[in-house]
Amino acid sequence: MRERKRISRRTFLKTAAAGIGGMTLGLKGIEASAQDKTPAKAKPARKALGVDVIKLGGQGVISGAHADYGWQIQAGATLAVEEINAKGGVLGSKFEVKFMDEELKPAVAVKNARYLATEWGAHLLFGVDSSGSAMAVGPILPELDRICMFVHASTHRLTEELVADKGIKQIFRIAAPVYQEGNLAALIFKEFPNIKRWAGIHCDYEYGYSAWALFKDTLKKYRPDVEFVSIAWAPFWTMDFSSHISAVMAANPDGIHATPWAGEGVMLLRQALMLGVFDKIQAWFQCMGGSVDILEGISREVEAGKFKNKLWATARYIHNYPDTPENKKFVESFRKRWNRFPNYSAENAYSTIYVFKAALEKTRSLKTADLIKAIEGMKIMTAGGERFFRPEDHQAIYAVPGGRVVIDPKYPIPVLGDLKVFPAQAYYRHPPFEPLKMGK
Amino acid sequence: MKTRLAILFLIIFLAVLPAFAGKYLLYVTIHILLLSIFSLGFNLLFGYTGLLSFGQAGFYAVGAYGCAKILLVYPSLLVGILGGVALAGVASLVLGVLCIRHTRIYFSMLTLSFGMMIFSLAWKWRDMTGGDDGLVGIPRAPLEVPGVFKINMAAMESYYYVVLGLSLLAIYLFQRIIRSPLGLTLQGIRDSETRAACVGVSVRKYRLLSFTIAGLYAGLAGALLPPLESTVTPPVAHWSHSAEPVLATLLGGIYTFAGPIVGSVLFYLLKDIIVRFTEYWLICLGVIVVVLVMGFRGGVVSIFLKEGSRR
Amino acid sequence: METLAFQGLIGLSVAMYLWLLASGLTIVFGVLGVLNFAHGSLFMLGAYFAFTFYGLWGVNFWLAIALSLLSVAVVGYLMERFFLRHIYNQDHAYQLLLTFGFILIFDDAVKMIWGGVAKIPAMPSFFEGTVSVVGRPFPVYNLFIIGAGLFVAVLVWLLFEKTWWGKMVRASASDREMAGAIGINIPTLFTGVFAFGAMLAALGGALGTPVRVVAPGIGAAMIIQAFIITVIGGLGNLKGAFVGALIVGTLSAYGVLLFPVFELFLIFLIMAVVLMIKPQGLFGG
Repeated sequence: MRERKRISRRTFLKTAAAGIGGMTLGLKGIEASAQDKTPAKAKPARKALGVDVIKLGGQGVISGAHADYGWQIQAGATLAVEEINAKGGVLGSKFEVKFMDEELKPAVAVKNARYLATEWGAHLLFGVDSSGSAMAVGPILPELDRICMFVHASTHRLTEELVADKGIKQIFRIAAPVYQEGNLAALIFKEFPNIKRWAGIHCDYEYGYSAWALFKDTLKKYRPDVEFVSIAWAPFWTMDFSSHISAVMAANPDGIHATPWAGEGVMLLRQALMLGVFDKIQAWFQCMGGSVDILEGISREVEAGKFKNKLWATARYIHNYPDTPENKKFVESFRKRWNRFPNYSAENAYSTIYVFKAALEKTRSLKTADLIKAIEGMKIMTAGGERFFRPEDHQAIYAVPGGRVVIDPKYPIPVLGDLKVFPAQAYYRHPPFEPLKMGK
Repeated sequence: MKTRLAILFLIIFLAVLPAFAGKYLLYVTIHILLLSIFSLGFNLLFGYTGLLSFGQAGFYAVGAYGCAKILLVYPSLLVGILGGVALAGVASLVLGVLCIRHTRIYFSMLTLSFGMMIFSLAWKWRDMTGGDDGLVGIPRAPLEVPGVFKINMAAMESYYYVVLGLSLLAIYLFQRIIRSPLGLTLQGIRDSETRAACVGVSVRKYRLLSFTIAGLYAGLAGALLPPLESTVTPPVAHWSHSAEPVLATLLGGIYTFAGPIVGSVLFYLLKDIIVRFTEYWLICLGVIVVVLVMGFRGGVVSIFLKEGSRR
Repeated sequence: METLAFQGLIGLSVAMYLWLLASGLTIVFGVLGVLNFAHGSLFMLGAYFAFTFYGLWGVNFWLAIALSLLSVAVVGYLMERFFLRHIYNQDHAYQLLLTFGFILIFDDAVKMIWGGVAKIPAMPSFFEGTVSVVGRPFPVYNLFIIGAGLFVAVLVWLLFEKTWWGKMVRASASDREMAGAIGINIPTLFTGVFAFGAMLAALGGALGTPVRVVAPGIGAAMIIQAFIITVIGGLGNLKGAFVGALIVGTLSAYGVLLFPVFELFLIFLIMAVVLMIKPQGLFGG
C-alpha cells in the first residue's frame, strides 16, 4: 500500500456534497417507490372496506437447501388470491400479494416485515419459514399494528410464549407446530412394543432440540421401557450426514427420529440407505418427510422398495388427507396451475388467504384489532380439514396423520399410507404451558 | 469554511428528517448510521493501518449481546450502550494482542477465525445467548440519568435522535483521531513498517491501538442494535456480516475519511431497493464489487475526486 | 473400539472431499500467491455441472464427471485470464475482495440457472451396496471416494514431482522472476495452474453430487473449511493440505460421535492456534 491520502478541504467538501446529494436522491427514491404503492385512497362509499386493493405481505425462504418452501408458500397464496379475485374479491376489493425472501435470517425477516407493513402498505402479513425469524418478527407486530399469520415456523415458543404468555395478540399460526414432530410420533410408536431403543439425528438448532425433547418426553410417559440411546446434531449447511448416521448406528437403535428437512432430508435418507440402515432398524421417523419435495426426492428409492416399509413420516398437511371435496378441489386446482402436488406450506398459505377473506367478511373492517377478534376462535373449513383458532394461543388446531411412505397407484409420487390418525386434541399441547426442557 | 457549511447542512438535514420521513425511512437511516460507524472503525484498521480484518462482526456481536443482556436486567439505555461498547473494547484489546503480531493474509485469517469462534459461542451457548433463537424481548429502554432526566424511547423518532447524536459524536471523534499524531503514525506504519520502526515507533503498540478503536466502533454499532430490533441473533457475528463494512468501505472509498460513510449509505440503499424488485441481489452486489476492484479501487468517492483514482 | 475405527473410516471419506477442495486452493496460493475466496464456489459449480450432465441429461457417470471438470476449468480460465491477472501486483486485500465478489456472483448465477431448490440426481447403480467393515456395513460409494482421493493425491504428486510441467510450476512458485527470465511463459502457466486448481475443486464437488446436498450457498459454506485446512497444513503446501484435510475430516466425524457440543468452536480454535503459533502451518517452511 503505497498511497497516502491527504484530505484537503476542497476534496472533503466535494465528498460531503456528493454524500448529501446521493443520500437525498436515495431517500427520495425510497419515498418515491413507496408513493405509488401506498394503499389507494377510498372511493367514496363504493367499497365496503374503503380500499380498492387489500395488500398482503408475505415472506419465505426462496433459496438454499430449503428453497422449495418459499416457492410453495408463494404458489399457494397466489392460487388463492387468483381464485378469490376471479370471483369478485372480498366485499368488492381485490387482494394483492407481495412476496419477499427472508433468507433464513431473522434480521432480514424483521426488515421485510417492517418494509411490507409501513412502506408498502400491507394490511395483513403472512409467511415466515424459519422459527428464528418468527421469534424475531412476532415481538414487533404490536408496533407495526399488523397481524401476521405464520405459515411454517414450527417452534412451540411462538404461540406458547409470545401469545399465551406475553399476550402478543397479533400473532396467529395456521400451521401445525412441532407437536406434529414430537407428540404425534410418540403416539404412533407407543404401539410398537418391539421398538425400544430410539436414536435421534437432529438439526442443531431450536427446531431439532424441541422436536427431540417433545418426542422423548411424550414417549417416555406412555412407554417407560424405552431408552434413548444416541443423538447426533447436524448444523445448518450439513451436506454429508454419514458421520451422524454412523455415530447413532453404533448404539444399535431400533428406531430413529430425524428432523433435517427439505434437500437435507433427502440426502440424509439417501446416505442412510447407503449405510445399510434400513436393514438394521425397525423404523425411521422422518419428521417432515411427508413434504412433497422429500417424497419426490426419494421416489426412485421408494419404488424400488429400498426402505423396506420402515420409513414413516408426517407433515403439516398431506395432499391425500382428508378425503374431503374441499381438499380434492384444492389439490386439483393446484396441480392444474403449477403442475406439482401442493406441499404443506402451499396449503397453509392457501388456507391463510381464505382465513383472511373470512375474517374481513365477518368484521367488514381492515382494523387489526377487529381482525384479531374475528380470527380468534374462528372455526373454518379448509383444504387441510377443519381448523379452529384457539383463543388461548392463536394456534390453529387441526389433525394431520402420520404414516408409512408407500407407493399408491393413484399417485405418481410416493405418499403417506397406512395412516395413523389422531384427533388434534390428543397430541397438541394445552395451556397452561410448561417450558420445554431442551438439553443436548 | 465551505466544508463546515456542508457538514452543517448535512446535520440539519438529518436532524429534521423525522419531520418528513416515514417510519420505515427512519428505520433505514438508523441502520445506515450503524453501518457507517461499523465501517468507519473498520477503515481505521484497513485504510489507515493496512490491516484487513474479516472478524469485526465478532466485536459487533459482543457489543450487541452485551447491551442486550444489560438491558434485560437493568433497562437504562445509556448503561446498556456503554456496557456493550466497553465489553467490545475489552474483547478487541484481548484478541488484538493475539492478532496484531501477524499481518496480511495471516492477520485476515486469524481475525476470521476469532470472529467465527464468537459466532459459534453465540450459537451454542444457549443459556447465555439464547442459542440460535437469540435474545428476545429486549426493551427499548429509556434514556436516563438517575435524578436528572428520563426520556422515553418507545417512538422510533426518539431513538433515532439518540443514534444520530451518538453517531455524530463518533464521527467527530474519528476525525480527531485521524488528524492527530496517532492517525499520521498509523498511516506511516501502513506505508512502510520498517521505516516507521526505524524512526522508533512501536509498530505493535500502534496497531493494537488501531485494532482496539476499531473494536470499540464495532461495539458501538452493535450496542445500538438491540434497542432498535428487540432481538439479537447469532448471524450478527458471522463472517458474512464482517464482510459488510468491507464492502461498504470498498464501495465508498478506502483511503478517504468519508468513504466508509458514503459507502454505507450506498450499500444499504442499494440492497434495500434491489430486493424490492428482484431476488437476485447477490449477483448485483457481486458485479459491483468486481467492477470496483477492477477499475475503481478508490471507490465512489474517488470518482468525484480527481486525485483519488491513482490506482 | 470398532465404533472408533468405523467412525474414523467415515471421517476418512469425508476428508477426501475436503482434500480435493483444499488441494486446488493451496496450489493456487503457492504458485500464484492468490488466496481464492471463490474456490468453494468452483467446488459447487463442479457439483452443479455434474448434476446437469449426469442427472438431467443422462450422460454416463464418468463422462459427466470429466465434462464437469472441463466446464469448471473454463470458468477458472475466464476468472484468471480476464480478472485476477490484472490485479496480481495489487495488495492481497484486493484479491480477497475480488474473489469475494465472485462468490456472490456464482451463488446467484447458480440460482438463476438451476433454480433455488436443492438438486437430487439418481444414484449410480454400480455404487450401491455395502461392504462389511468391523462388522458394520460401509458404503461402497464411500470406499470409492477414499480410493479416488488417494489416487488423485498420488497423481498430483507425480505431476508436480516428475513431469516437466510440474517442474516449471515449482520453479515459478519459488522464484517468479527467475523463472520468467529463463523463458517460462509465466502468465500462461499461471492460467493453467489456476484452471488445474479449479478442476480439483470441481472433482470434489462432482463426486459428491449423487450423495451430498447440491444447493446455492454450499460454496460459501465450503470455503471456510478449505481455509481452515490450508492454514493448518500450511498455505501453499500440498502435503499439508492432505494432512490438514485428514485432520479436519476425521475430527469432525469424531466430533459428532464424542463431543458434539463445541465442535464448530473447536475447529476454529485449532485454526487460530495454528495461525498464532506456527502461521506457516504444520508443513510450511
